[in-house]
Amino acid sequence: MQESILIEKGKNGDRKALSELVKLHENTVYNFAFKICRDKDKAENTMQETFLSMLKSLHTFDGNSKLSTWLYRIVVNHCLMLARKSGNNEFVEPENEDELYDNKYFSDSRMLPDKIAENNELRVILDKSISKLSPEYRAVFLLRDVEELSTEETAKVTGLSVPAVKSRLHRARAFLRNEISEALKK
Amino acid sequence: MNFAKIDCHSVMKHICESLDEGLNSEKCKEIKKHLDECEGCQNYFDSVEKTIEFYKQYEIKLPEECHKKLMVYLNLED
Ligand SMILES: [Zn+2]
Repeated sequence: MQESILIEKGKNGDRKALSELVKLHENTVYNFAFKICRDKDKAENTMQETFLSMLKSLHTFDGNSKLSTWLYRIVVNHCLMLARKSGNNEFVEPENEDELYDNKYFSDSRMLPDKIAENNELRVILDKSISKLSPEYRAVFLLRDVEELSTEETAKVTGLSVPAVKSRLHRARAFLRNEISEALKK
Repeated sequence: MNFAKIDCHSVMKHICESLDEGLNSEKCKEIKKHLDECEGCQNYFDSVEKTIEFYKQYEIKLPEECHKKLMVYLNLED
């Protein structure tokens, strides 16, 4: 059944339609929550809160954006809230471009592996690298490059301006690229 | 030679800024030329693309148990 019909039915309290909507999006929501939190328990908790919030406010959903975009926003807000609560002030905001594009990074001739499949060492490095980034940068990188939202959609979800999305995206790319290359050298 | 005109630093920055647009715009010609001739920048370009690809490939499976708990939590179980 078409999503828009499920949404209409869901707004009228149709449990079967609501359950279908959850099933359609649970995998994306869980994965995206994991990508931001890098923690399976937090991802599960975020997924539960996201869908609870969807059930509570589905009647306000106007269909101007995609339901998935709407869900991404709830996930981002929840994860930012968790990060603030954690009181961790160690996150990196990669703002120093001289450092990000330091000459030492281009002389690096080592090629990165082609796939991450079955490569647990690389998975640990990916988790560690992105966990260092401040959650706002993480969200921009993941929405734009990994989930492949447009720059405008990413701006909508994060509440940032389009230029702010762009500059964060570029710096996040450079930061993650540097972290991963350096970690693989060891 | 164009090669000397532009340095690796600005190429690196440009790569990170323009991955989404590709390297096709008019102003990218010099960058492209440099990229064709400089191995360091080629590797850099490759590693930025791979970084994104790694995070794309990194998916986890929603455990059946989590799905069930979710449906109960939402009071939507069959
Ligand atoms: Zn170069």
